[in-house]
Amino acid sequence: MVQRVFVTGVGVVSSIGLGKADFFRALEAGTSGISSVTAFDAVPLGRVRAGEVKGFNASDHLTRAEQRRVGRCSAMALGAARMALADAGLEVADVAGPRTAVVLGTTMGEARILAELDREWITAGPEGIARAPVSRYGSTLLSIHIARAVGARGMVLTLPAACAAGNYALSFSADLIRTGRADVVVTGAAELLQELQFSGFVRLAAMAPDKCQPFDLNRQGLLLGEGAGLLVLESAAHAQARDAQPLAEIGSYGISCDAYHITRPHPDAAGSISAMLGAIERSGLRPEDVDFINAHGTGTKHNDAAESKVVREVFGDRRVPISSMKSMLGHCMGAASALEAIGCIFTVQSGIYPPTIGYETLDPECDLNVVANVAQRGKSDVVINNSLAFGGYNAVTVFAKPGVLPPPTMGKPEARA
Amino acid sequence: MIARAITGVGVVSPLGVGRDVFFAALAAGARASQSARIESFDASKYENPRIAEVRDFDAARYLGARGMRTLDRLSKLLVVAARQCLHDAGLKSAGEWVEPAAGDASWAARAGLVVSNAYGSLEAITELDRVALLEDRRYINPSRFPLTVSNTAAGYASIWEDLRALNVSVSDGNCGALDAVACADMLLGSARADVLLVGGAEAMSEPLFVAFRRFGADFGPSEADASSASGCLGEGAALVALETPEVARARSAPVLAEVLGYGTAFAPPPHPGSLLYAAPEALTEAIRDALRDANLQATDVDVVVSGVSGMRAFDGAELSAIEAALGQRPFVVAPKLAFGETLGAGGALGIASAIAYLRNEARGYAVRGELRGPVRTAVVTSMGYYGNASALVMRAASS
Repeated sequence: MVQRVFVTGVGVVSSIGLGKADFFRALEAGTSGISSVTAFDAVPLGRVRAGEVKGFNASDHLTRAEQRRVGRCSAMALGAARMALADAGLEVADVAGPRTAVVLGTTMGEARILAELDREWITAGPEGIARAPVSRYGSTLLSIHIARAVGARGMVLTLPAACAAGNYALSFSADLIRTGRADVVVTGAAELLQELQFSGFVRLAAMAPDKCQPFDLNRQGLLLGEGAGLLVLESAAHAQARDAQPLAEIGSYGISCDAYHITRPHPDAAGSISAMLGAIERSGLRPEDVDFINAHGTGTKHNDAAESKVVREVFGDRRVPISSMKSMLGHCMGAASALEAIGCIFTVQSGIYPPTIGYETLDPECDLNVVANVAQRGKSDVVINNSLAFGGYNAVTVFAKPGVLPPPTMGKPEARA
Repeated sequence: MIARAITGVGVVSPLGVGRDVFFAALAAGARASQSARIESFDASKYENPRIAEVRDFDAARYLGARGMRTLDRLSKLLVVAARQCLHDAGLKSAGEWVEPAAGDASWAARAGLVVSNAYGSLEAITELDRVALLEDRRYINPSRFPLTVSNTAAGYASIWEDLRALNVSVSDGNCGALDAVACADMLLGSARADVLLVGGAEAMSEPLFVAFRRFGADFGPSEADASSASGCLGEGAALVALETPEVARARSAPVLAEVLGYGTAFAPPPHPGSLLYAAPEALTEAIRDALRDANLQATDVDVVVSGVSGMRAFDGAELSAIEAALGQRPFVVAPKLAFGETLGAGGALGIASAIAYLRNEARGYAVRGELRGPVRTAVVTSMGYYGNASALVMRAASS
């Protein structure tokens, strides 16, 4: 029998709040995390706004030894992992061992460490490179640091799936439990704001000057953000054995690859449509069962138009409420869909759909039921989390109130009776 | 794990390009030259830069001249390996997908990619950092910017080879390519694809070379290698076509070998201040885990295709872990001493090498024990630099 997989704890480091309680409050209030960048001088680039994390002190969450060996991206991930474990009511002693795995998503991992090594090398030559930071670069370290901290001795894996990395990490973590390879997985994703990435998005002419307005007629592009969203996933048996209260059940997922363009989604959106339908059907559901869509909604012309097409194709005339947290957080790249997954859990728990702030003018090409500017309340039995990424990646995950989903299977959708 | 069939191999390595060339080199006990002129970067300022490169690598020879400018070396290595693998598996012919069986969806819709890489495109990131530092951030080339994203090479492989079922990038240092097989196993098990190209890629670049040198990565002769050959940093890409035996049978694809089991473990360094750690206890557990997964005993193992690379601290830990898991004097080989430490691609080249041993086409590169009779079962091992370790159990194709 395939085990059900529950989310039993979440931890957040974000521009709109640290920790679950602050994050949930900010999502309901439609708080903007966008501010002027302080990590580097962005002024010459002509774009200065981003969702930078404020007030996160590694020393509040990490031991001294940990602070010495991690970069900022891992520090945020580790802080969020400790919050998630505490939220799940778990101690390290409860999860330490070979049946606990760690699977993290990211786009660039410790990009600032590499940037500093490059700076030293380019300005001072090979001998100018400080030796110790060399071993602190590499995206695999995100999961290694967390495995050390929580005592995980099973699989440690990082999935660099660009802006769909959070959904990838969640999907694989759930499969590790369903296939019996783990009982508990600490998962999620982390990303930091970094100068080269910021400059690159400016050079791609993808960055808005001031605000991110997903699905709006006058949207001008994305804003970048940063943060970490971590979740504790447990098998039903593990959660029940300790009388844990699940926050939500994670259903199946859909993934596909456009194989079309390295940065742009396919205009016919076939891959994204099949990922969304796949996630719904593989969870034993039909599109009419979905109550709310946590959108990818980057605020770029191409993305929002393609995503609108996907929603119309999958849901037809049914105007399912949809909203993009990127209007508040900016695009946290690898961490985006992990933070949005936690947003889905907020919705499942509270029945509150977070708003798309800054929404002003309907775009006929994005004629969707956007939760504009103010949070709404509604049915929240089943919520889906959509994501797309560089490389043509599409990934969709499903979250539901415990008791709503039919028993999980591993096979194709038609295998269900 | 349910047995998975390997029906094709694509290899781009310092020992040559293509399965036949690679297997012939292994059969001959060849070693990549570490002293020839370095092609991937200007190495004239470095004293005795020993690395193993894919020599005379001209991706245009395999892919045509169009579109080459947008690709970095990492993407080129991976795309060529993907194309080779699809042709070797009989899924493509003369660059085109073969016709699917009547009533089946196109192969493009049923084929995907699961690929490991450890360090991304250091070439592209450094190129853009150089422009940003020495000129101006406003001048970085937007068409090169996507290459800085870690999964871009995988994305390009899907675009070039039209792989639409799924695309997964995996990062777990040297263990990533074996972990990619575990991911592929779950994806095949949930019928998300009918065939997956699985493996890894890592490209040589000046920053990679400088980083390992600066860190003092001590590649030397393996203490156990009779030839006293030195290991070195390498590069390459290797992919195998993995499918269920049923799918392979249905399309009458010859099976080259089977994957039977996977195991992994993590053990932290004993000292809280340490980060790097060769963890024999993790690898021992990973091998035991993989054998359990395969329903096999230690005594069933005929050859261990190890990750021994010439880095002494890690080699010693790996060999002692193998002996702890399998008993005294197992037959352990170290083909990395021939093609270099290829990091994220290391396990993938290990899998490709294991196929050569399972077909009894390779016999050399021994670092422990000796070959005793025909090889039926192989274990491939990988040790990461941070206490991570993975192992894979493979079996010869049933005749």
